[in-house]
Amino acid sequence: MGFRELLNKKEFVILDGAMGTMLQAKGLKMGETPEVMNIEKPEWLLDIHRQYAEAGSDIVYANTFGGNRHKLAKCGYSVQQLISEGIKLARKAVEGYDTLVALDIGSIGQMLEPTGTLTFEEAYDIFKEMIIAGKDADLIVLETMTDLYELKAGILAAKENSDLPIMCTMTFEQNMRTFTGVDISAMCLTAEGLGVDALGVNCSLGPKELYPVVEKICKWTTLPVVVKPNAGLPDPVTNEYNCSAEEFAEFAENLIPLGIKVIGGCCGTDPSYIAALKKMLDGKKYVQRNVHIPAVCCSPVETVVIDQPRIIGERINPTGKKRFKQALLEGDIDYILGQAIEQINAGADILDVNVGLPAIDEKAMMVKAVKALQGVCDVPLQLDSTIPEVMEAALRVYNGKPIVNSVNAEEKSLVTVLPLVKKYGAAVVGLTLDENGIPKTADERFRLAKKILDRAMAIGIRKEDVYIDCLTLTASAEQENVMQTVNAVRRVKEELGLRTVLGVSNISFGLPSREIVNHNFLMMCLTSGLDLPIMNPNIDSMTATVRAYKLLTNIDKNSVDFIAHYGGDNSTPVQKKEKKSEMDLPFAIENGLKGEGAEITAKLLETTDSMTIINEMLVPALDKAGEQFEKGKIFLPQLIQTAGVAQACFEVIKQKMLAEGGSSVSKGKIILATVKGDIHDIGKNIVKVLLENYGYDVIDLGKDVDYQTVVDAAIENDVHLIGLSALMTTTLVSMEETIKLLRANNVDCKVMVGGAVVTPDYAEQIGADYYSKDAKQSVDIAREFFGN
Amino acid sequence: MNGYISVMLNKLNRQEALRYMGCGDAVPDEKMLAMLEECEAALLAVIKPCCIYHVFDIEDTEDGVAVCGTSLVLTGRSVREHLAGCTKAVLMAATLSAHAEKVIRRYEATDMTRAVIADSLASAAVEQVCDKAEEEITREFSRYHRTWRFSPGYGDLPLDIQGSFLDVLQAPKRIGLSATQSDILIPRKSVTAVIGLSENEIPKGRRGCSECNMKEVCAFRKKGDHCGI
Repeated sequence: MGFRELLNKKEFVILDGAMGTMLQAKGLKMGETPEVMNIEKPEWLLDIHRQYAEAGSDIVYANTFGGNRHKLAKCGYSVQQLISEGIKLARKAVEGYDTLVALDIGSIGQMLEPTGTLTFEEAYDIFKEMIIAGKDADLIVLETMTDLYELKAGILAAKENSDLPIMCTMTFEQNMRTFTGVDISAMCLTAEGLGVDALGVNCSLGPKELYPVVEKICKWTTLPVVVKPNAGLPDPVTNEYNCSAEEFAEFAENLIPLGIKVIGGCCGTDPSYIAALKKMLDGKKYVQRNVHIPAVCCSPVETVVIDQPRIIGERINPTGKKRFKQALLEGDIDYILGQAIEQINAGADILDVNVGLPAIDEKAMMVKAVKALQGVCDVPLQLDSTIPEVMEAALRVYNGKPIVNSVNAEEKSLVTVLPLVKKYGAAVVGLTLDENGIPKTADERFRLAKKILDRAMAIGIRKEDVYIDCLTLTASAEQENVMQTVNAVRRVKEELGLRTVLGVSNISFGLPSREIVNHNFLMMCLTSGLDLPIMNPNIDSMTATVRAYKLLTNIDKNSVDFIAHYGGDNSTPVQKKEKKSEMDLPFAIENGLKGEGAEITAKLLETTDSMTIINEMLVPALDKAGEQFEKGKIFLPQLIQTAGVAQACFEVIKQKMLAEGGSSVSKGKIILATVKGDIHDIGKNIVKVLLENYGYDVIDLGKDVDYQTVVDAAIENDVHLIGLSALMTTTLVSMEETIKLLRANNVDCKVMVGGAVVTPDYAEQIGADYYSKDAKQSVDIAREFFGN
Repeated sequence: MNGYISVMLNKLNRQEALRYMGCGDAVPDEKMLAMLEECEAALLAVIKPCCIYHVFDIEDTEDGVAVCGTSLVLTGRSVREHLAGCTKAVLMAATLSAHAEKVIRRYEATDMTRAVIADSLASAAVEQVCDKAEEEITREFSRYHRTWRFSPGYGDLPLDIQGSFLDVLQAPKRIGLSATQSDILIPRKSVTAVIGLSENEIPKGRRGCSECNMKEVCAFRKKGDHCGI
């Protein structure tokens, strides 16, 4: 009987208990590699597995938990050796029993990006290697995961390199989240979406403490739920777990009414616990759950249920935005992150991400943008591209359950996009258009919506995961058809029961006072059943419309949210303005007044040439701050703050130049990188801000940068000044290696180095051209180098 | 013996954070104070500081100080001197949790000034966590004399034991703390350290700049100051 059959036929499936606890009892030392025992102490494993089979385990986990190339690096055995041996031993041990053998895969032991340095792709490879080595198992178990991203890499690796069933469990703390903050709903939505066979929780707590965790899991998945708790909580003094086998089984019994299917034990449990479970389960019936998962999307930490209007921020999109296009051309991720955070602060619940620009590698940029965005934002993302390869790349690296924007009723679109939506467990926006364009009437659009829904459901996409966009046409061009859109929204919502999405701002294109048209149209659509307006949340009248709608429809109970946003509004903008007009640019810079600095710059640009502003106002103000910093009169935060204001001023100048079709201001190009292995990039980022505000173009390669990447970037961009940063004694050697490789490739460049552990002597010793003791000095070096 | 300490911080050490930012003992102006407050609140809202520790018997061997019952050996002259006369050692690992990093990253994308302030506050915070944890550990082992906290990377105790150190404490599983291949702790605002326990009084003077591998580049020393260790 295979795992899937087991799930169908048996009331309950019993797993095994702890492996580590058993190995330690046999003599394994703390810090030793348990998988090595597969070769060196096979008799230990044979005995342990046999004991569990004897006690009643339907499945035993092979001793392969940490059998990944990272953890095994120093042990002298290969992944292939230890895993295949582990599976073989388990198989041999349970001979004669009706027991399955699982390939057990735990956390890699390295944190993934963005917190750690392990990339998603590397994690996938590590898991892939284990899965191939463990091909003779009956199922694949991914357990003790705390990072949803790592789990996703594991599930994808399993799905794409094996046909075995998959079971996955994460480790939740008492606050109902994992260490990295993953919410239970996010695990359930993501893992079920990716197509695992069973999911749940293991380790961390005992069966008693896990009750609320299991309760929540049972509400967020339709799959069989797995529970593998510890033997209670460890005693702080003796380190003994506080739950006996009988108590363990008793607490586990309380979980049955919640609807669990698969149960075993984790740390501190042994065969007596499994025997107690078997005894307790004897004659008990599995409790069927009646779960309905709503229309929903999520990031690891935030689950957004579409049970009321949710704002999708539209600003991450280059269409019609010169400044955004420029940022894409320059690979300026920080600009995109800034746009994201501004929208979230303004009230966006979900962010649309579109980085399509013919001149760039959209796929690479999409992957970069999605990774960077999920590193700083908690809200879920809506992935927006017309190119299937870009969409698939984005779906792979997205952490959570995203929305795909979009599919339409054209055959070509249906056959390429829907399978991706299914494979990655996303939700999808369906546009009511086909080969013949956008139909004029609400009836026709409704028909296309129905077609998209049918096709999606035919390949197993849930109805709740299909959101329909009935498409807004501009009122100035097709005034007579505006109500067709509104009516189509109502019909799709009421008759098909689907969530609706609509880009609303287009309605006013070509009209004066667009805001008035937009927020009134928005209100009409909301009243007709619009769930997901795609809009600019930074325009308060739009966000206010959504908030007012929620207040008036009794969604915002007691007007809590509305009052929180507008209750304290007694600002007197007129006064503020008067104050600003007295101010000049140097004053704004010295006092760290960003907004004011930008406004003054905009005003100055009406009468003054941009280079004059830069050279006669910005740079002298920065110089003054730099001088005061050197004298110890101001300190690092103030220095950065002045630079921050200058940055805001530069942004205004940049926008103007782009609008006029000119190229951006540049006094020279500089590459900055935090060297390989090092992830402390705050110092490098300070240097970047300062250099940029003196008018230099900084190509920021980020942190943990490969030697070759620096070389390639220098050649590709024709850059002759390179700044390298390292903060650890252990990564100084990477600095040296990077310089060596630059020299070996005859890159015509000077190198400046800096960072906490770098000394002038060391800089000289590794062949650097300049030593920069702080951010201010890096500016001096750049000026000397470029002679400006 | 094995412990888990959940540390509650109600405020962060702003003075220390200002020192990390190179502001010395300068009194922050109103604007700076407001930013400190904002960053402090942002950090306090999300961090989940905790510390795990385990006390082991230790044994002076040819290879270094062996941590009994584990495969870990603390190598180098300085840790041997540090633990001289001690029969037990407490291994500890403390972290602010990964949530601190996200706050800093977010500021880095929008406002470097706040990023630097938050980063310094977080550095100060992890020291506070260690201090609080050490207080509890001291209470538990009050019958012993103890050394100060000695971390991998101090003196000639190599940083590359970081991974094994964490494994012995099961830190990846218990508090989500691991080390990169360059031996950087992740989450970054974390500390590992060993405290020696001795039945007899421990002679003073076993600490200070001369033992420190940062002594050549230390910003505090350049100013004639001291980091406080």
